[in-house]
Amino acid sequence: MPSDPPTADLVVRAQRGEARAFEALAREHLRAAYSIALAVVGRPADAEDVAQNALLIAFERIDTCRQPERFSGWLVRIVRNQAKNWLSRRKLRESPAQDRTEEQRDDAAGPEVALSRGRLVQALGQISQVQREIVLLHDLEGWTHAEIAAALDISEVMSRQHLFQARQKLRVQLAEPACVGGVG
Amino acid sequence: MTDQKIDFSALDPSRDAKRWESLIESVASRAVAARRRQVSLPYQLMAWMRPALAIAAAAAVVTWVGALTSSGTDSAAALESEEHPAFVLSRWAMADERPSTKKIYQVLGGQNVRE
Repeated sequence: MPSDPPTADLVVRAQRGEARAFEALAREHLRAAYSIALAVVGRPADAEDVAQNALLIAFERIDTCRQPERFSGWLVRIVRNQAKNWLSRRKLRESPAQDRTEEQRDDAAGPEVALSRGRLVQALGQISQVQREIVLLHDLEGWTHAEIAAALDISEVMSRQHLFQARQKLRVQLAEPACVGGVG
Repeated sequence: MTDQKIDFSALDPSRDAKRWESLIESVASRAVAARRRQVSLPYQLMAWMRPALAIAAAAAVVTWVGALTSSGTDSAAALESEEHPAFVLSRWAMADERPSTKKIYQVLGGQNVRE
């Protein structure tokens, strides 16, 4: 999560129309937006598209962000809404053949990455949405529990509990030591 | 065991740094372009036109009703004419029409409007 310059300053500068502030906000929040989107839509490629769209919508409505210091939470709500809309549209338009196309698109990253990605996506599908959001924001994005709690509007204790349970379930799903990284 | 991070690097979209950087730049440039459109004069005029027209129509209706209730038969008949400003403004507002500035000026009594 951003610290220098503070997100609130960037939001105020973006509200004044400063181009650099938009770029700095995008740099700092696009990955987090991707994590939230991935927790809802479940596919990395779709999550990237949703994250970009959501960030653009947030920037278009930046004047309505009344509490710049709470930009992260405001953005999370926009990303969730966009992701849910995306999911509804996807259910309507897709067939199993298109699912295979999506898998092939993932394979372009290389067989090992695709395999690992596929297993992670499958394992993430076994936990709740809020657990996915928390484990991705913490373990992928590197947010602290205080930052997660503020953005998701939950307590830090709840964030820790969800993370603990999410990791426990994911390890059972993944069940291989190769998927375990550094100390958190 | 559960205090260890799960390795999500395979899901990390910034793994391909060059591609990720171009995504960020694309989002930022599209946001700036949208912002410039938002603050442009035509956009602001469009944003203000509808409420301004609605207010003008409401004011005209109030005036019209006031005049009808307080004046004689002749002026009431004149106000019922389809060419009366209040009538025209109300019709525009109800039909969600967006007349040109020239038309609005003419309806409100402007005489020296160039064609």
